[in-house]
Amino acid sequence: MTKLTLTPGTQVSSPYRAMTRERMRWYVDAQPTIAADDGRIHTQEPTIHDDDDYARAQGLPGIIADGMISTNWIHSLLIDIFGAGVNGRSKLSTKYVAPVYENDRIRAVVEVEQALNEAEGAVCVGCKVWCEDDKGRVVTFGNATVWV
Amino acid sequence: MATGKYVSDLEEGDRLGPVDYTLSAFVIREYAHTVEMHQPCFQDGDAITMPPTLVHLDKLRLYRHACPMGTGPDARIHYEYDCEVFMPIPAGTELSVSGFVNRRYQKKGRTYVELTIDLKRRSDGVLMIRYRDTVILAFQRAEAA
Repeated sequence: MTKLTLTPGTQVSSPYRAMTRERMRWYVDAQPTIAADDGRIHTQEPTIHDDDDYARAQGLPGIIADGMISTNWIHSLLIDIFGAGVNGRSKLSTKYVAPVYENDRIRAVVEVEQALNEAEGAVCVGCKVWCEDDKGRVVTFGNATVWV
Repeated sequence: MATGKYVSDLEEGDRLGPVDYTLSAFVIREYAHTVEMHQPCFQDGDAITMPPTLVHLDKLRLYRHACPMGTGPDARIHYEYDCEVFMPIPAGTELSVSGFVNRRYQKKGRTYVELTIDLKRRSDGVLMIRYRDTVILAFQRAEAA
């Protein structure tokens, strides 16, 4: 687990990852696979996340990543920082403010805004969260609240 | 009421579900693997728990149930994820998910639909996750389509 000082302004980021065609398709395939829940991989009709022709027909220049990939990368970083308790009590809000195209290099960032002591020794930590590319362009932003 | 047809037909006040299901370990592992969350809490042993983000696929579960004709004429764009989780949800939990369309509105030539999803434990109705999802019904603005 990454150790974080709970001082406002402290930042932790994940390594950059390329938003490859495969990463986009994994999220597409997960949807029917999880719906079927039979232990096998399932696929679906073309989407804007895995079919360039379909994406262009929808007015996009090519496939774009599902925003939930960014949200999950933020959630994963929160777990790495604060532990698995994030899965049991937390808030996470994200907006998708710019498209993520194939091979954009993306990282998740968590920045502590405040840490408040609560009853029974718990600390409520409010954070800014975002995903950005390697040029500093923010593609997803929001906030998180976790209890540690 | 606009359920029973396409997702793009949903209107304010529409209710989706409830739909009951049992959260399987396969679903937890597969979803976490898909987004490269390899932490033991999602992958190892019998005590794994649901990533709260998996509630996003409960939206699709509700769409399939309430809008069996599919998406509609255009691809949706996910705009906002807003989730609060109140307790861990272990594999094997029997769940009930329902949705309510809070708002359908226009902004800058695009149509937005905001849906609140409640994920409850089926045995006692306790709310485990509340999720607010906002989508844009089409990427192209109405005047450009």
